[in-house]
Formats: sequence, structure tokens, C-alpha cells
Amino acid sequence: MSRLRKAQERAAQWIVAREEPGWTSRDQAAFDAWLNESDFNRIAWLRLDEGWRQSDRIRALGAGDAAPADMAEPTGLAHVPDRASAGRWWVPHAIAASLVAIVGLGWFNIQLDLDRPAATVATKYETTVGGRRMVGLNDGSRMELNTASAVRAAVGTERREIWLDRGEAYFEVAHDRTRPFIVHAGGRQVTVLGTKFSVRRDGDKVIVSVLEGRVRVDDIGSAGIGRSTTIAGGDIAVARGPATLVTAKSEERVEGALAWREGMLSFDQTRLADVAAEFNRYNRKQLIVTGPDAPDMQIGGTFPSSKPRAFVALLRDAYGVRVEESEEAIRISD
Amino acid sequence: MDEWFRREVLPLERSLARFVRRNWRVDDEVMDLVHDIYAQAYASARSGLPVNTRQYLFTVARNHLINRAKRARIVSFELVADLEMIEHRADLLDTERHLNAREALRRVQAGLEKLSPRVREIVWLRKVEGLNVRETADRLGIGQDAVNHQVMMGMKALADHMLGGAGRIVRSRPASPREEADG
Repeated sequence: MSRLRKAQERAAQWIVAREEPGWTSRDQAAFDAWLNESDFNRIAWLRLDEGWRQSDRIRALGAGDAAPADMAEPTGLAHVPDRASAGRWWVPHAIAASLVAIVGLGWFNIQLDLDRPAATVATKYETTVGGRRMVGLNDGSRMELNTASAVRAAVGTERREIWLDRGEAYFEVAHDRTRPFIVHAGGRQVTVLGTKFSVRRDGDKVIVSVLEGRVRVDDIGSAGIGRSTTIAGGDIAVARGPATLVTAKSEERVEGALAWREGMLSFDQTRLADVAAEFNRYNRKQLIVTGPDAPDMQIGGTFPSSKPRAFVALLRDAYGVRVEESEEAIRISD
Repeated sequence: MDEWFRREVLPLERSLARFVRRNWRVDDEVMDLVHDIYAQAYASARSGLPVNTRQYLFTVARNHLINRAKRARIVSFELVADLEMIEHRADLLDTERHLNAREALRRVQAGLEKLSPRVREIVWLRKVEGLNVRETADRLGIGQDAVNHQVMMGMKALADHMLGGAGRIVRSRPASPREEADG
């Protein structure tokens, strides 16, 4: 094998390994050693990694598949203009079905100091409006970022910590009794040992939805004794200021709250004004609802989050509301 | 430094590979040379990033080819003379067009089309579905080693395609009959 082939082979192995769960600080050290062995190694890795990273754009291809191109506007970035060629060959059908509504490029930015062990470094992940991103953490846990979200993750030997700075994320936590998994979200701290749940931050409001297992929600906002609430699978905790409301045993609502992972928004007798606000998290083009009655209209159903226009068209046909569309917004009124 | 390499050097790969190919007779060695040139450019840039990356990279390339040609003694002196005469102004004018998002997406799409169906599917599962090796192996009912191997193949092929240097997909099996006979 030539020197180049060998370096490329090794670089490719590193890139794959680093994306896998279970990447340890020892792995990082070995990787650093290999990089520092020669510039040839380093550039072989840089080149492959860059090409591989640029290929991330294929995420955007999911968008063109089901919708006319003009429907997929969220980031204004990359939708596939040529549907015929986009859908032609490469999507196995089962996959296509689950991908229909992935729109926009999630992007992320790793702040990684190669000289330090990975375990002590907080890594930052972000998504833009309409973006979504799956991230594998070193300990085997996985998190999925929803639209317009920012998260920092530090997986250490003592504890695993996540700071939800903005937006919403879903977590599947690898079981590890020795290292608690803690999510900090505003005035709340969510501690788990191994489970599946999501945390959403909306200003000072924090919503925790648990799919499986148990989590503890601690109020760390108020001084003095921190109040804590334990919730289990099927529960949703809505916390604001000193208050924490728990809706117990509502598997359906939890599923609804997690529908975004499939690119869908799910509503059950929700006010149109709230539905619009939900759509607005995912799209630059904002829905604005005005009028005496329209904001309070009750909406139920499941809709692709990236297609507000399709939703509005449905609304117009079903309820006869007035719709005006401009460059930045779609206005809905009685 | 790494950022400089990604942002300023790698986009030049298409031009650089073309330049090397034009001035080197052995086609199989082109990518090796490109990598040697990269490594040298990277090492020298440690003492300070060049003002004009393009000019810098092509100067490194030219000197490297001259040294290699002299050392190898395989290539005729004509080539060395040619190289020394090169007005690489032509290459300097040959600017990279910055791809917009849509063009870049088309390029990835074209790159995917070049992959074998299996490799393409695996790349898709990994990039879009976010599956890891074990999950991909489970989903497709194949071994993790096979998944690993194919991801790596896809990765190399896509890098070649996105950056443009190799100008062809490198297959794991040798393509020419002569090489096959050797192996």
C-alpha cells in the first residue's frame, strides 16, 4: 500500500471512529498522536474530513422529495430544484418515508482543542431555523437538536453535562450509574441515569417530556431549598419560574411533543395562534394570525413543520380564512 | 492553521491536480504528489500564513515537481526545464468559482450518483438518518466491518469528488487489467 493510501485509510478510520458513540479521551490522545506524527497524516485527515463534511449537504436532499421546491423555503439555502433527479434512485422507500420533511441544513461547530483530552472539552452544537441534527456523544448517548437550538455538551469521567442554551433537544441517554447525565435548562436542571426524553426551552419556560424511564427535575432558579420533581415515561413537566406543572400519563401528548423528530408538528385542540407560533420556530416566513376569532380557532392534526404554506392552504380550504402572503410573512385573518 | 488549510488550500485542489497532471507523466502518482505538496505547504505555513495562498501553493508545487524530477532521474531533463520555464500566471488567473449552495448540493448529488448503490445507501443512513455503524449493520443485516469498509470507501470517493483532485473514483479493486494481473 502506498504511503498515501495508508494515510487515507487510517484517516478514514479515525473519522468513522470519532463519529461513533464510545469515543474516549484515550482514543482522542491516540488520534492526536497520529496527527502529530507527520504533516502528511494531518493533511490526509484534513482533506478527507473536509470532503466528508461538505457531503453533509445531502441532508438537504430529503427536502426536495415530497414537496414542490417552492414549498421548502425555511433556510433559503439548499433545496433540490430538480425533483425528478433527486428522487430517482437513491432513497430506499422505507427511508424516504421517514425523511419526507427534513428540510434545511443543520450545521454545527465543534470547538475542540486537540491538545486536551476530549472528555474535558465542552463541545458546541447548533442548528439554524428549520435545521435538525443528530449528535452522538462520547459515552454512547445520543441527542437530536430541533430547529434554532444551541447546546453545549461536556462528557467527563465524573458526570455528563449538557447546557441547553436555546431551543429544544431530545436525548437518549446511555445507562451509566457512575456518571449522572445532567441537562441544564434555564432555571431547571434535569438529572437522569439512562432514559429517553426531550427538553425544550422557551424563554423562562422549560418543558420536559419523558418517553421512557425516569428523570428528576430540580428547580435551581430560586434561592434556598431547591424543589425537585420526579417524572416518568409518559409525563410532561412544564416549569416556569417557581412553578412546575406535571401532566401525568399522557403517552399521546409525549408522542406529539416529540413529533418534530419526524419533521412533523402534532396538535390536539390547539389554538391557531399557538399553532402559528409553533410553525414560526421552524420557518423564516412567519405566520401571523389576526382578527377577533381566528386566533382562537381550535386546530388538531399532524403537519410537516417545514411547510407552513401547505398548512395555510388547508386552513383556507377548510375554514375559509383570509390569507395574504408577503415576502416575510403569511397573514391569516377572519 | 487547519482552518486556513480547509478554507484556502483545499478549494484549490482541482487546479493544483490539473497543474501536476499537466507536468507529470505518471498519472498514478498525481494524487501522491498533490498530498506531498499539501504537506510541504502546510509545514512551511507554520512560520506564518502566506498572503496569497494560491501563488504560494503553486510555487511550492513547482519546486516540489522540480526536486522530484531531479531526484528521480526517471523523467527527462526536458521536463525539468519545462517546469522551470513555467509561467504559472495562467494558473493564477484560472480562479476557482465559489459554488453557491445549490451548485454545491448538485455536486454532492453527482458524487453520490457515482457511488455503488450499497455504499450510497450506507452513506445516506449515516449522514441523513444519523445511524452509527452498529445500527447501520443491524438495519442492513450485514457485518459492522463491512459497514465500516463501505463508509470509508464512500468517504474517500466523496472527498475526491467534492474537492476534485483525483478526477475519478478510486476503487478498492485495481481498475486496469495489468494491475489485476500483478495482484
